Amino acid sequence: MKMTKFVMAAVAAMVMGFSSQAMASGGGAHLEHANVDVTDQEQIRRGLTVFTDVCMGCHSAKYITFRGLMDYPEIGLTREEVDELRGEKSLMSGMISDLSIEDAVVSYGKAPPDLSLIVPGRRGGADYVYSLLTGYEHDPDGKVPDGNWNKVFPGNRIAMPDPISWLDHEADEAAELKQQAEDVAAFLTFIGDPHQNTRRIIGCWVMGFLLLLTFVLWRLKVEVWKDVKH
Amino acid sequence: MTDQANQSRRNFLYVAAGGLGAVAAGATVVPFIGSMLPAADTLAASKTEFDVSTVEAGQLVVIQWQGKPVFVVNRTAELLAQVDGHDDRLKDVNSEAIPEVQQDWMDTPEKRKYRAIKPEYLIVVASCTHLGCIPLFKPTQGRKDWGDSVPENWAGGWHCPCHGSYYDISARVVNGSPAPHNLHVMPYKYTSDTKVVIG
Amino acid sequence: MLDKIMKTQLFAWIDKRTDAEAIIKSQLTEYPAPKNLNYMWNFGSLALLVLVLQILTGIFLVMYYKPSAEATFGGFTVAFDSVERIMRDVNFGWLIRYMHAVGASMFFVVVYMHIGRGMYYGSFKAPRELLWIIGVVILLIMQGAAFFGYLLPWGQMSFWGATVITNLFGAIPVLGEYIGQVLVGGFAVGDPTLNRFFSLHYLFPLLLAAIVGGHIHALHVVHSNNPEGIDLHKPEETIPFHPYYTLKDAFGVAFFLLFYCYIVFFNPQMGGYFIEVDNYVPANNLQTPAHIAPVWYLTPWYTILRSFESKLLGVAAMGGSLAILFVLPFLCKSAVRSARYRPMYKIMVIMFFVDVIVLGYCGHSAPTATLKVVGQIATAYYFLFFFALPFLPKIEKTKPVPEGI
Repeated sequence: MKMTKFVMAAVAAMVMGFSSQAMASGGGAHLEHANVDVTDQEQIRRGLTVFTDVCMGCHSAKYITFRGLMDYPEIGLTREEVDELRGEKSLMSGMISDLSIEDAVVSYGKAPPDLSLIVPGRRGGADYVYSLLTGYEHDPDGKVPDGNWNKVFPGNRIAMPDPISWLDHEADEAAELKQQAEDVAAFLTFIGDPHQNTRRIIGCWVMGFLLLLTFVLWRLKVEVWKDVKH
Repeated sequence: MTDQANQSRRNFLYVAAGGLGAVAAGATVVPFIGSMLPAADTLAASKTEFDVSTVEAGQLVVIQWQGKPVFVVNRTAELLAQVDGHDDRLKDVNSEAIPEVQQDWMDTPEKRKYRAIKPEYLIVVASCTHLGCIPLFKPTQGRKDWGDSVPENWAGGWHCPCHGSYYDISARVVNGSPAPHNLHVMPYKYTSDTKVVIG
Repeated sequence: MLDKIMKTQLFAWIDKRTDAEAIIKSQLTEYPAPKNLNYMWNFGSLALLVLVLQILTGIFLVMYYKPSAEATFGGFTVAFDSVERIMRDVNFGWLIRYMHAVGASMFFVVVYMHIGRGMYYGSFKAPRELLWIIGVVILLIMQGAAFFGYLLPWGQMSFWGATVITNLFGAIPVLGEYIGQVLVGGFAVGDPTLNRFFSLHYLFPLLLAAIVGGHIHALHVVHSNNPEGIDLHKPEETIPFHPYYTLKDAFGVAFFLLFYCYIVFFNPQMGGYFIEVDNYVPANNLQTPAHIAPVWYLTPWYTILRSFESKLLGVAAMGGSLAILFVLPFLCKSAVRSARYRPMYKIMVIMFFVDVIVLGYCGHSAPTATLKVVGQIATAYYFLFFFALPFLPKIEKTKPVPEGI
């Protein structure tokens, strides 16, 4: 079990490093690297808490159902925990924010995007989410109000007001806020493709098998081709 | 190296390649056929809640569970009495033939006879075990209400219009019917006095 | 194995009614293939493999996919939701969908290698002109199928890719407007477009399968070219296709699957090249993504399109760049086939391959002034290559070709 988990984590880290690098190269602003481990149940659960406490105030993640929070072993909540989270909502319901999209448009001028696919759907993926949450600064030109200027958002002017109160945080809070941003990035990375860990494990077996098959077919080909005189 | 050694190595490689190829083909079939099994959301939607107090005495209601029809009958004392006295004409009196016709709670001869947690509410899958038609509810005894669509000694129950299978008022199949088994009993439990969760 | 099967009574029964033994002999066990084919000749069988994989995965995806642009909660659509259901709830749905998406790109990788091999070794030249022309038809149908398929997830790139391409037809005088309407079934890409693209995306692979049959039949009439590009006359120059090339192809298939499965299992988006980042964002007809480019396998032609100021000229050039492939066998007049014995053609054709890669790079990148000029030069060379071919024999000194292999 330990070995499987180690292999899983190693492969995941390697591949994500590669792909996020490739994606980041297409983007504009420099992104901070987020330490995200989609096999780490604790980090994903911490991210879930940030998601439900902070993000879900406005954003939904409709493709992740409350049932999914129990069924995916990477999250693995108990029925009681899920019942507490969902309140009156159905177990089959996605994680829908209580703020209606219409009201959000009135309040913020823009519909908050659904976060189910925010990591695969943004250049830079988890790094982008992390950098965005920790990218709030005072507008250097002093025109954009505080909480609407973000150094990594395209165009810098963002409708989402500083969700984790990054702007003007106390020096000793920085580590904790960064941790929150990384955790929620981990959660969002996981829900963007909830079968990714299974996929990588199966992938290891498939690659091992194919290496053997390729080797045998290569030797067989060489053997049979000995008949051909050049 | 001799020709013979070459030949045996070649044969070994042929067998190894063939074997691995067969494994590969078999492994490829798994996800494709697997994808045709019910998806996770379909499985999760496989429970139905129902309030049995909405069924009036002596009446039958058909509800849906996993897309299948389910009978819920409110059996009066009179109907319950019709369960007795024709054991010799039933194929599977105690519902023991296959797992689908029994449940863990059928632990007394009484419950095996009434085939219900609460005897007055019979809840069974409404698909004839022959070929899946929905049998007609013909609860009263004799031919008075049903003419010759039922046998002379009709004890009351169901009659399948497709191929003429008969079931008694506990949905047990009557001898001579093409249907092989009693109507299936699906797992269900009472969550309150009158609320059942099916599935 | 095969010879044992052919001795059974069942086989005899079938043979009497289908002539199976004669077919197996003429097409496999006694079909003469040049003995000196190199690994570049593996890409034909690989293309067939990927076609089969695409059809197979496609059939299973259709069991869950719903072609409807009807809006659902949160700015999504029924089609987008059904794809996410495949990715999340359907057993192994993620695997089948990634196989299909990666397979689309790998199909083009394999087919472009196959075409490049044909150009380098002169496989398109007499008597294989029709074989080549059928191949070009296959390429066009593939591009069509890929284009139709890319709309189906109904993401941002699906929507805007389809919008851009269908608008191209508007450049055609008089008829353009109607062709555009016939394609989209309205005045902009919408639900009717999605439905007809789905229908056509199912139709085209069936056409493809039939035409591939024709391609293989044509091949088996004129027989394979070879790296030396010479006609073979002596029996000792050929070997039976089975078991020699069936085993070599099987080895090639396993080797290819190593790459294919690595991508499917470990990097299915391929850094945004195989599944684009913007396609994880649901289609929004009121907002174009900041950077829009077709999928990588269509980008060379996209650059040719962008290289002209006039829309009509651009569309004509793009159409021409594909159409000119049909006449390649008649433009190339040299008596020698293989680039091995044609020093000038060798340089030209290798430059052509580099040129197509440059075109692809330009088409994939955001347009800048420099890249535009690079793209225009690359476009010019693309056409120059073809137009120079008829005159090449007048100045090219070919090397002597060998008598046999």
